[in-house]
Amino acid sequence: MLKRFIVVLVISMLLTSAVFAGEVLNFISTQMDPAAEQKFAKGVLLKGYTDETGIKAEFITMPTYHDMFIRLSAEIAAKKVTISLVCDLHGGLDLMNAKGLFDDLTGIALPDRTFIKALEDYSVMAGRKVYVPWMQATYIMVVNKKAFDYLPAGLTVEDVTGASEKWTYYALLNWSKNLKDAFKGPKLGFPMGPKGLWHRFLHGYIHPSFTGYQAAAFDSLRAVKIWEYLKELLPYLHPSSSVWGSMDDPLLKEEVLIAWDHTARLKTALIEKPEDFAIVPVPRGPKGRGYITVAVGLAIPIDAPQKENAIKLIDYLTKPDIQVKILENVGFFPTVKEAEGAIPVGALKILATGVLAQSGAADSIMVMIPSLGAKSGEFTATYRDVFTKIVVEGADIGTTITEAADKLRAIFKEVGVPLL
Amino acid sequence: MISFSRGEKNWMPYLLFLPVLIYLAGFVGYPLIKALGIAFTSEAGKLSFENFITLTRDSTFWKALKNTLLFLIIIVPLQVILAFLLALFVNSRFKGYMTILYIISIPLALSDVSAALMSYNIFTSHGFLNKFLMSFGIIETPIYFFGLGLSSRAFWVIVLTELWRATPLVFVILLASLQMISKDYFEAADVFGFSSWQKFFYITLPLTMPSLQSALLIRTLFAFQIFGVVWLLSGRDIPILAGEVYYQQAELNNFQLAATYGFIIALICIIISWVYITFLKAKHLELKK
Repeated sequence: MLKRFIVVLVISMLLTSAVFAGEVLNFISTQMDPAAEQKFAKGVLLKGYTDETGIKAEFITMPTYHDMFIRLSAEIAAKKVTISLVCDLHGGLDLMNAKGLFDDLTGIALPDRTFIKALEDYSVMAGRKVYVPWMQATYIMVVNKKAFDYLPAGLTVEDVTGASEKWTYYALLNWSKNLKDAFKGPKLGFPMGPKGLWHRFLHGYIHPSFTGYQAAAFDSLRAVKIWEYLKELLPYLHPSSSVWGSMDDPLLKEEVLIAWDHTARLKTALIEKPEDFAIVPVPRGPKGRGYITVAVGLAIPIDAPQKENAIKLIDYLTKPDIQVKILENVGFFPTVKEAEGAIPVGALKILATGVLAQSGAADSIMVMIPSLGAKSGEFTATYRDVFTKIVVEGADIGTTITEAADKLRAIFKEVGVPLL
Repeated sequence: MISFSRGEKNWMPYLLFLPVLIYLAGFVGYPLIKALGIAFTSEAGKLSFENFITLTRDSTFWKALKNTLLFLIIIVPLQVILAFLLALFVNSRFKGYMTILYIISIPLALSDVSAALMSYNIFTSHGFLNKFLMSFGIIETPIYFFGLGLSSRAFWVIVLTELWRATPLVFVILLASLQMISKDYFEAADVFGFSSWQKFFYITLPLTMPSLQSALLIRTLFAFQIFGVVWLLSGRDIPILAGEVYYQQAELNNFQLAATYGFIIALICIIISWVYITFLKAKHLELKK
C-alpha cells in the first residue's frame, strides 16, 4: 500500500513539474549578471510581465557569450530548444545569427515606440531583422566639479562640457598635471583592474581618436603617438587604477577627480552626489572623438517553444516606462525615443545629458565592440598587455606594437571578421 | 543476495565507501583526467606538447612561476615560525589564554576575498593607515602601497595579508599537537636537569613533527592556490600561477593553456608533497628493524 502511494506520488510530482516546466518562458541573458541586477530582472521586470500577461518567465544569466552560445547551439542541434528569448550584446547576437540560431523578426509589431535609427539599422543583418534593440550604454568621463578650478590655460568649462575642439587628450594631460600639483597626488583614474574595462578605452576611445580605427592601424605612426602620450600621462594616473574595477567608489571618496568608465559603473556616484559631478564627453584626438556604443538586443531562437509569448515579452521590455525603470536600476539607456522625455530630473538626467553630448559631438567617431566571440578575451588582452609592456615596463614601442598588430590581424582573420 | 554475515565476503565497507568513490570519480577524477587530456591536446586536436611549448615561450609564465615560488618561500616559513611561537605561547596556559586563542583564530573564519578587501581598506591611498599617519602629521601625502609600477610594494602587502589570514590554520594544528604531549616527558626531563632549549629540541619538536609535516604540506599546497588576495590587491601586476589559470580560462577562453597551467601546478605540488613526506618523516614513530 505504502509502495503504491509512493509510486503515485512520484509520478504525479514528475507530471506536475513537467506541466509547469512547459509553461515557463526561459529568458537567457549575458547582461544583468550581478546579484543586484538579477534581483531587479527577476523581481521587477519579469514579475511585472507575469502580472500583466499571466505568463511565467524565468531569467537565466550566462557568465559569458561563450557559455550562452554553447547552450543555445546544443539545444538547437538536439532539437530540444527550451529557450524562448535571448539577450546579448550586438557582437554576440551577430555571431550567433551567423550560425543560423535566430528567427527573422522582420515585421514584428511593437506599436507606439520609435527605436533610435542607428541601433535599428545595426539590428538588421543581410536583410534579416535579427534582434530588437533593448538597451544601450557607453563609456563617459566624470569630472568632480572641484577639478574645474584647475583647468589648463585656454580651456574653459564650456569647452569640456560642450566637446569643443580645444578639449583634446593633450588638454587632459595638462589638466591632470595641474591637479597633481594642486592636490599633491594624481587625480586622474581609469578602471585598470582585472574586472575593469580599461581595454575598452584603449581600443574604442584612444585608438579611433588618434588613428581613426580600433585595430586596423595598430602599428601605424599615428598609433606610436598613442603610446608616447600614455607614457607621458602615466605619472598623473592614480596608481591604484590597476586594482580598480569600477570608478564610482574612487570618485565618491575623492581619490580621483576625473575618471572614465562605463555609464552603469558610474551610476552610484551620480545618484549619491549628483551635485558634485559633471558628465563630460571624452576628449578628442587628431582624428576625432572616438567612443563606443554598446547595443544590447533581444532575439528569438529558431524553434523557440514560446515564440508568441517571447514577442509579448519583447513588447513589454521595450515599453518607454520599463526602459526608464531599467535606466534607474541598471544604468542602461533607453533605445526608444519616447522614453527620453520620461527620465526624471536628477542623476540620471545628468548622465543622459552627458551621453547625448558625447554622441552628438560633431567630431564623434562611433564604434561598436568587434564581434569576436570566444576570441574577444584575446583581443582585449592584447591591448592591456601592450600597455603594460610599453608604458609600465618600458618596452620598445615599435617592436611591441608590430608584434601585437600581427596578433590582432590573426584574431580577426581566424574569426572571419573584417579588421576594424 | 549480498551477504553481510561473517565468514562470507563482507561487502558492507565497500558499499559504505561507494557514494564517496562515485562522487570523487565524477567530480574530481573525471575533470582531472579531462584537464590532463586538454593540456596535452593541441589546438588542432592532436596529442602534443604544443601547449607546454607555448607556455614556456611566454614571459608571463616565468614571471608567474617566479612570483608563486617567491610567495611560497617567504610566506610558508614565516607562517610556520610565527604559528609555532604563538602555539607555544598559548600552550603555556597563562591567565586569559583562551581570549588570545580566539583572537588569533578569527581570520580562520574569513575568506581570502574578505581578507584582501580588509587589507585594501587599510593600505589604500585613502585607507586607515594613510589617514592615521596623516592625522598625526607623520606624512603629508599618502603612501601608495599598490598600483601601477608599485608591484614590489604590493608584494609585501600581500605577504602581510597572507600571514595574517592563513597563520591561524598552522597555529591551530600545532597547538593541538602541543596539547597532546604528555606532561610525563617534561617531568622526566626536569629530573634529568634538561634546560628549556633541550626540552624544546628533544621533546617538543620531535613530538610535534607529524603535525608540523601536515601543516607544512597543507600550507605549501595552499600557497600554490593563492589567488584571491593577489588578484584583488595587484590585479595582474603580479602574475601568479593560479591567477593565470583563471585568466586563461575565464578571460581568454583558452582552455588548453588553462589546463596546462593547472597541470604544472599539480605537478609541482606532487613533487613538493613527496619531498615533505620523504624528508620530514617523524623518525620517532618509525619502527626500525
